[in-house]
Amino acid sequence: MGTRPHLDRPASTDRSRPALLLCLLVMLTMVWAVPLRAAPPADASRHWAFQPPRPVAPPAVSNVAWPQTPIDRFILARLESAGIPPAPPADPRTLLRRLSFDLTGLPPTAADVDAFASDLAIDRPAALARWIDRLLVSPQYGERWGRHWLDVARYSDTKGYVYGREERRFVHAASYRDWVIQAFNRDLPYDRFLELQIAADQLVPPSSPDLAAMGFITLGRRFLGVTHDIIDDRIDVVTRTTLALTVTCARCHDHKYDPIPTDDYYSLYGVFHGSDDRQLILAPTADPEAVERQKKFTAKHAERLTEANARLRARIADYLAAQLELNQYPEEGFEQILTPDDIIPHSVRRWRDYLRQTRGTPHPIFAPWHRLSEITPADGPDFATRAQAVLDTLFAAQPINPRVVEAFKRPVTRMRDVATRYGELFRDAEAEFSRRIRREEADSSPRPSPSDEAALAELHTFLHSPDSPTTVRDSAIVNIEYYLPTSVTEELGKLQADVDRRWIDLGLPAALVLSDRSGEPNPRVFRRGSPSQPGPEVPRQFLGILAGADRRPFQHGSGRLELARAITAPSNPLTARVLVNRVWQHHFGVGLVGTPSDFGLRAPAPSHPELLDWLALRFMEDGWSLKSLHRMILLSAVYQTAHRTPPAGDPEQRLLSAFPGRRLEFEQIRDGMLAASGELNPELGGKPAELLDASNRRRTVYALVDRQFLPGVLRTFDFANPDLHVAVRHETTVPQQGLFFLNGPFAAQRARELARKTAGLTPADRVRSLHQRLFQRPPTTIELEAGLRFVEAADRAASNLERKPDTTVWSHGSGEYDEATRRLRSFKALPHFTGTAWQGAAAFPGGETGWAQLTAEGGHPGNTRAQGCVRRWTAPRDLTVSISGTLVHEPSEGDGVRGFLLASREGVLQSATVHHGKAELAATLRVQAGDTIDFLVDIGGSLGYDQFLWNPVIVAGSDRWEARTGFSGPGAVQTPLAAWEQYAQVLLLTNEFAFVD
Amino acid sequence: MSPILTRRDFLRLSGMGLGAVSLAALEQARAGAPAPSAMMPRAPHFAPRAKRVIHFFLNGGPSHVDTFDPKPALAKYAGKPIPGEYLRTERKTGAAFPSPFQFKRYGQSGLEISELFARTAAHADDIAVIRSMYAQVPNHEPSLMLMNCGDSVQVRPSFGAWTLYGLGSENQNLPGFVSMCPGGMPIKDSENWQSAFLPGVFQGTFVDPQHREVDKLIENIRSPHADAATQRRQLELLRELNGAHQQQHGNDPRLEARIESFELAFRMQLEASDAFDLGREPTHVRAAYGDTVHGRQTLIARRLLERGVRFVQLWHGAGQPWDHHENIEGNIRTHSADIDGPIAALITDLKQRGLFEDTLILWGGEFGRTPSVELSDGGKSKLGRDHNHYGFSVWVAGGGVKGGTVYGATDEFGFRAVENRTSVHDLHATLLHLLGFDHERLTYRHAGRDFRLTDVSGEVIRQLIG
Repeated sequence: MGTRPHLDRPASTDRSRPALLLCLLVMLTMVWAVPLRAAPPADASRHWAFQPPRPVAPPAVSNVAWPQTPIDRFILARLESAGIPPAPPADPRTLLRRLSFDLTGLPPTAADVDAFASDLAIDRPAALARWIDRLLVSPQYGERWGRHWLDVARYSDTKGYVYGREERRFVHAASYRDWVIQAFNRDLPYDRFLELQIAADQLVPPSSPDLAAMGFITLGRRFLGVTHDIIDDRIDVVTRTTLALTVTCARCHDHKYDPIPTDDYYSLYGVFHGSDDRQLILAPTADPEAVERQKKFTAKHAERLTEANARLRARIADYLAAQLELNQYPEEGFEQILTPDDIIPHSVRRWRDYLRQTRGTPHPIFAPWHRLSEITPADGPDFATRAQAVLDTLFAAQPINPRVVEAFKRPVTRMRDVATRYGELFRDAEAEFSRRIRREEADSSPRPSPSDEAALAELHTFLHSPDSPTTVRDSAIVNIEYYLPTSVTEELGKLQADVDRRWIDLGLPAALVLSDRSGEPNPRVFRRGSPSQPGPEVPRQFLGILAGADRRPFQHGSGRLELARAITAPSNPLTARVLVNRVWQHHFGVGLVGTPSDFGLRAPAPSHPELLDWLALRFMEDGWSLKSLHRMILLSAVYQTAHRTPPAGDPEQRLLSAFPGRRLEFEQIRDGMLAASGELNPELGGKPAELLDASNRRRTVYALVDRQFLPGVLRTFDFANPDLHVAVRHETTVPQQGLFFLNGPFAAQRARELARKTAGLTPADRVRSLHQRLFQRPPTTIELEAGLRFVEAADRAASNLERKPDTTVWSHGSGEYDEATRRLRSFKALPHFTGTAWQGAAAFPGGETGWAQLTAEGGHPGNTRAQGCVRRWTAPRDLTVSISGTLVHEPSEGDGVRGFLLASREGVLQSATVHHGKAELAATLRVQAGDTIDFLVDIGGSLGYDQFLWNPVIVAGSDRWEARTGFSGPGAVQTPLAAWEQYAQVLLLTNEFAFVD
Repeated sequence: MSPILTRRDFLRLSGMGLGAVSLAALEQARAGAPAPSAMMPRAPHFAPRAKRVIHFFLNGGPSHVDTFDPKPALAKYAGKPIPGEYLRTERKTGAAFPSPFQFKRYGQSGLEISELFARTAAHADDIAVIRSMYAQVPNHEPSLMLMNCGDSVQVRPSFGAWTLYGLGSENQNLPGFVSMCPGGMPIKDSENWQSAFLPGVFQGTFVDPQHREVDKLIENIRSPHADAATQRRQLELLRELNGAHQQQHGNDPRLEARIESFELAFRMQLEASDAFDLGREPTHVRAAYGDTVHGRQTLIARRLLERGVRFVQLWHGAGQPWDHHENIEGNIRTHSADIDGPIAALITDLKQRGLFEDTLILWGGEFGRTPSVELSDGGKSKLGRDHNHYGFSVWVAGGGVKGGTVYGATDEFGFRAVENRTSVHDLHATLLHLLGFDHERLTYRHAGRDFRLTDVSGEVIRQLIG
């Protein structure tokens, strides 16, 4: 993997005109501009973010009537000194929309807006407090704010790229997602919220649902199992999320700008390296299948471990010999261990580490090895003589296991002999030990001398100790896969995958926790980030800049719990500030600190530093309660100001002279559309649902986040990249977003539903009702007239339009060709429609028919000839039809497919076997109403590479039915939108719907 | 396609080493006009030799000793162990395994190319072969990541994404970076064309060219429920309603940007349909490329490139078709035949259209293959070759490349790059140079530091530049 040192800061701008560009940037960006090469201050510890928040009294202001809360005085003081009056308050509708989208991610109803307005008129402060509370207690609050947290936690339901043996979905993702949502809903104090996510394994009982919290650390990419990168990801997500420090910049050298030395990075590296991943079910299951699969896995795992350990113990000579040529075993070579007889590089390195750790200690077994390996050619050509002298001295100086002494009575001529000698020694000891146990059981022979008994026991203990390099620890495969032959890893991996799949299918609550490993040595710094260049040892401990002068190494196990507590300690100057800044950012669009996950030396200064401190202190005083924090912010006058054009003195609205308007995020738009059409499924929690499944009307937070195959629509709409901690989403506008709304089925479906729900009304009332549902306000006269004009024109156009192809004549199923009768034996409709394909089940391949699938243009036959796929055309009336179309099979691999053109009266009309080619299948015949024509494709010989294209066309006079255009799902989503539906779709597409003020 | 950036994103783009963002664009941003598009064409650091890239990715790892790196010594040692240092590969290999294919010298330059690429060889004088590439490990996954994203394991933007970040796209109605792969995705899936921490719009758009219908090629490109006239009427109403809304909201450029994006979407439907419709190509052109999936995807690539798409990657097929562990003679013949004709046709076609000079063609895989024969677990010859990251070949052409060149060399047997060893970072640095970038200055600030495609190394190979 080599080194991965970091970059020097390059020049930021075109060198030909830096001054001009810099000047423009400053002008344009205020705090956005990244400072060019900020000179590090003499004493980094004096950086504002490393100072404890200072208790400040809210400043005095002239306009004493405006402030509603202390927050307002901080804001107003800055505005007054800039000479900018705050904007007037927003109208009730705008305010409730803002509050509602902000807290729940959903729009209010028109009735809510009316009630809110009349409440405000009676007693504004009381009404506001009541309505804010109402939103905060709704379960939708957790769904919205939980999603913000999932952005920084790089949440994904899948692992990313994995080898074929492994289940690609996480077992514990949904449980973590639901835990986060519930934590927000029950207002779990933020310090506890963090501690559980970092160290729940040490804070709650073994089956507590809070263990799910550890998904925060364990939901990252697996990086093909490369430990160093998995740990780097974990350090990154913890430090940037909680402390807004970019600690991983110190992986290869001291942080360029912030006071984070590489030593500190490896102190944290040690914390995470000292923990294994462990997968748990959080509720016992009686499902016999799940139990059986687990049993099968556990038995095989134990068996394979025993074998692996036996191999390691039998080959000590080889592993010691390998120490003499360590350059043959470079770090992390993505090694394959092809046969059980291969030397396992990871075990070679464990031996290396063990020997390094014991070097310099008076080790009763390996002291001879250490001393002998120090002999150099400079000591003379005769190794044997030299060795004898070394050993004599050693044996006289310290107690050595008598059996080891015995073994070296015979001379050794080179280090390889020494390795062999150890190998024989252990082999004999192991054999004798088992003989004695058997003898003891038989209880016949005399006991050996106590001293030899002890010598033997010492050797035995070394071999079998869990920390010995001859033991593969009993742990999940992900932790030990590199100690096992590839075939065993595959075998166990598949059994684990069977277990995982059952858990996932049953939707069992699960957790993937870390658990501390015993006997973990202190971490060593990797020079230039390279594991092959280990440097000095460092203790596991917290970051020096935050721990201060009296920093002490962590005392307990991996130190993970101590790390969590160091993060949440009230004396930590960052944690509370970082959180209140994130909350502020989500309420106002931009944080008081513009870089919410980087509070380092190069972060822009806070726009309102005293306010940030005041909020942080208040937040801790209030018991780290997020809901209290929300209340405090939302009740302020500044939150309630109207949106307006930014005044000259505050072009970026960093002074908050008015509320900055905001474009809704994808989740808010999608959920908002479902809410507007009254279709939103309010079900909480549980298994994820495919985002694009036409039947998925759940909130977007429950959509499957597959980091390897993230739906294009999520990428298009700047969804948080699930591979990386995302503090601020990009906000781009691309035509693909327009295409999703214009052409995709989602908005069209909502438009159809809106039209259906308003169908009984007069045209004018229908326009009014739609405006109320979407915008919670009546249309203006101009909007009303525009709507009526549009519908009229659309109606006129529709009546002029030619008749669209009838989509009801096509159906999609599976069936078998009967060789004897030369007819279709059966037709069974394919049960699941994905939006683009008919198939056996939601999972593909799946259901009874496996690979059987039909799309608009072609498809894939099922797994056997009994499961051919059948596109069926049913005659709407008596006709003479000509059928044409080309069956295409493109892959050169496999053995092709068979195609049949079948009529319900005549049986087979034409057939062909196609492999890496095509065949024309055509016929002309008379049909009566209700007769069927079937287009059957089954596998050529065996399953594999059987996808095909076939778009048959049936023509009768001026009527024409084409499979592709007639292809549709269950709701016939493809029928043209009627006039009112078109109108409702336009309303859904408006900027008013997509922005909140 | 015209992703409109927020002012924040835009300034991040402009402030982060992309020095040549035009001043006019900055003025525009200041004036509150529609925010400039992330895909808006941008000038690079210096005058580019190439304006667009097409990358033939022979996924699985093509054998260099059977294609562009002849090794007569293998014949001498046929059936015998290769002398010299033992190099550990992924699986076990045995004796020297001479190429069963004939090499010939082509063109004025006398570039040696095997019969497998005889048609491509007609353009030998335009091709520069790098015979001294090396990667880090003999495994597909990390090597794919290294070749595409410059890092074996960590989440980093792909070369195509960096190119879009640096140059934008010449066509706002099409995706700027298209990755085509027949039949499904290569291993590592969309990670191969990811944008990582760069905005999502810079990620490659995946297209399976086995489909022939444009609505299967680009998501939501056709409306199943409204015809063009209906959409036009809808968009007129939308503009009217949005206009009234906008009047109450001052000049927030995001509102205008979103309005414009619907118009772009409307136009994109036509443009994309046209770009992917090979029916519009004359018969003789289609015949030259061949009516196969590879011929079609190469021809689609040319249509995209000439319409201003910045970066097209053509994968050979789902999975790793060039992973010739066994029976290499038959398999490599088939796979070479799939693309030899289309590549030759593409070069000819680009030349005829005057596009060759500023189109950069890159041909290669994630690593090469061993000159020794791969053995089964039982020690029997599999008549194939194992992965080899110690040495392999790629070639480049067009876009400022000095044709007829051989750069670097592997050892006598083709196992290890020994002369002018070329890292993937060197390759990327050179390609970025041809696109007009100083690879050390094309950077993006993320998570506290400035990242670049070439991490901390990479030397521009001047000998490859014409």
